Amino acid sequence: MTPLAAMAYREARIRATNFAFLFWDLLYPLFYLLVFGVGVNASLNGAALGDGVSYNAFFLAGVLGIASFGIANNSAWSFFLDRDNGIFFEMLTYPMRRSDYLLGKMFLNIGIAIVQAAITIAVAAELLGIGMRWSRWPLLLAAVAGGAAAWFFLYSIFALRIRRNDLFNSVTSIFYFVFLFASSLFYPIEALPRWFRVTALCNPITWQVDVLRYATVGLGQGAAVAWEAAAFAIFGIACFAFAVHSLARQG
Amino acid sequence: MPPAIEAAHLAKTYPRRGQPPVRALEEVSFSVAAGAIFGLLGPNGAGKTTLLKILSTLLRPTSGTARIAGHDCVAAPLAVRRQITMVLQETAAELFLSVRDNLLSYARFHGLAAPEARRRADAALERFQIVDRAGDKVQDLSGGTRRRVQVAKISMADTPVVFLDEFSTGMDPILKRSVMGYLREEAARGRTMVLTTQILSEAEELCDEILILNHGREAARGDLNALKLLSAGVYEIRIIFDRLPDGLSGQIAALRPLRSIVEGQTVELALRSGDADVLPVVNRLAAGAQVRHLEIHGASLEDIFVQLTGGGRP
Repeated sequence: MTPLAAMAYREARIRATNFAFLFWDLLYPLFYLLVFGVGVNASLNGAALGDGVSYNAFFLAGVLGIASFGIANNSAWSFFLDRDNGIFFEMLTYPMRRSDYLLGKMFLNIGIAIVQAAITIAVAAELLGIGMRWSRWPLLLAAVAGGAAAWFFLYSIFALRIRRNDLFNSVTSIFYFVFLFASSLFYPIEALPRWFRVTALCNPITWQVDVLRYATVGLGQGAAVAWEAAAFAIFGIACFAFAVHSLARQG
Repeated sequence: MPPAIEAAHLAKTYPRRGQPPVRALEEVSFSVAAGAIFGLLGPNGAGKTTLLKILSTLLRPTSGTARIAGHDCVAAPLAVRRQITMVLQETAAELFLSVRDNLLSYARFHGLAAPEARRRADAALERFQIVDRAGDKVQDLSGGTRRRVQVAKISMADTPVVFLDEFSTGMDPILKRSVMGYLREEAARGRTMVLTTQILSEAEELCDEILILNHGREAARGDLNALKLLSAGVYEIRIIFDRLPDGLSGQIAALRPLRSIVEGQTVELALRSGDADVLPVVNRLAAGAQVRHLEIHGASLEDIFVQLTGGGRP
């Protein structure tokens, strides 16, 4: 087994021992879809948004975004677990690159995000009757995987640089709040005030969610979505490089 | 064949905002032959941990070079990591995994095939007396048993160099003796052991060569005999009285010993004295009291340590 595979396997073994993690990772996002989404949809009397889709359909991509964000947060939090168990520094002496340490955690993170997305989409299609663009599944898969990876690297930077668990939770909670609401995740941004719209357009969550929305229910213009996908890929690569740098400075 | 470990002019400085930098390590050079048991001693803050971190690729030196089995710790860290096993001072284990899974997980990182990893895990469980806890999660174990799991990892991969930081913490004397025997066996097979310890008798018993650090610098280096030459003229005296003589503490203070302990009826002191002076000193101390037991011998590693580091603890 390569060190990278050993790392991913180790993460899976540890994650599987904690049912709370599995609940938060796999099922919690469904509450957004089935409670918040259905509630708002009902309050709008099922009216179509500007693009002719229901709020349920519009919000599906948002739920996938929330899930990838939350799963990445849990995965990055495992750095604190490693530190608390004393194994963090020992693992840095194992025969693997610093990037292997991160990528091993990332692969598990992607795996969980894909399983979660499959559950969410199945519930959305079967229970809420949301019309899916099934032909765009490769793009959907890439957006889920890419999102899970990029957010994990971003959170890893915080986890590696902020060495206190409580401070990490505070910072990421604020970050979570701002990123999620200043984006296209909960509502269409076209009708927002200009400053708000510009802020949302600069937010990587918007880039990921717009790609997810295009891939799931077909909303958005192909060219614009392609630019957003490219911007999000660059964002993810930059986060990876910075996370590896942060890990290399541990010691 | 290159030495197992080579360090040349190693230095590490930690910058501090608004304050002078801390020089944790200065101009430290040494080499360790393959198959040796090398002791790294020094008081707290002497630079032992910094040195171990550099040798295990956790830290980059500010200047100087370090090589493990010929691989440079800065230029080829991955090659170095393939050569080493590190047992850190703090207990490090996968708390949510079982004891057996901890060992297997470690073996996976070192690329062992599954059947070989299982065979080694069985042997390690036996040797470290944790067979009956093999299926228990490490979080349910006592601190001492967790330490066994951690130290047991050194038998899971045949890395040529093993670093052990305070390996015996939490071990009972019988297990400690067994582990010390195991370390000697592994060294005889050609593995190089580098250990730090607070218990100087362990270093005295195990180490072929010892490096004593103080304030980040080499205070002394050599085998035990060479180090003892540094302390020529230092004697350890142990006297057990029927009852302590009057004025004994004043007499001891006047001798200005390197260290002294008075416990119950027993007096232990280490002092620098010419060969001809030792017995008169004992006679003076024992005057007016019945001596039940008397021992005089040359300096121990602890005496040398105290002398070289100005009384600091390891």
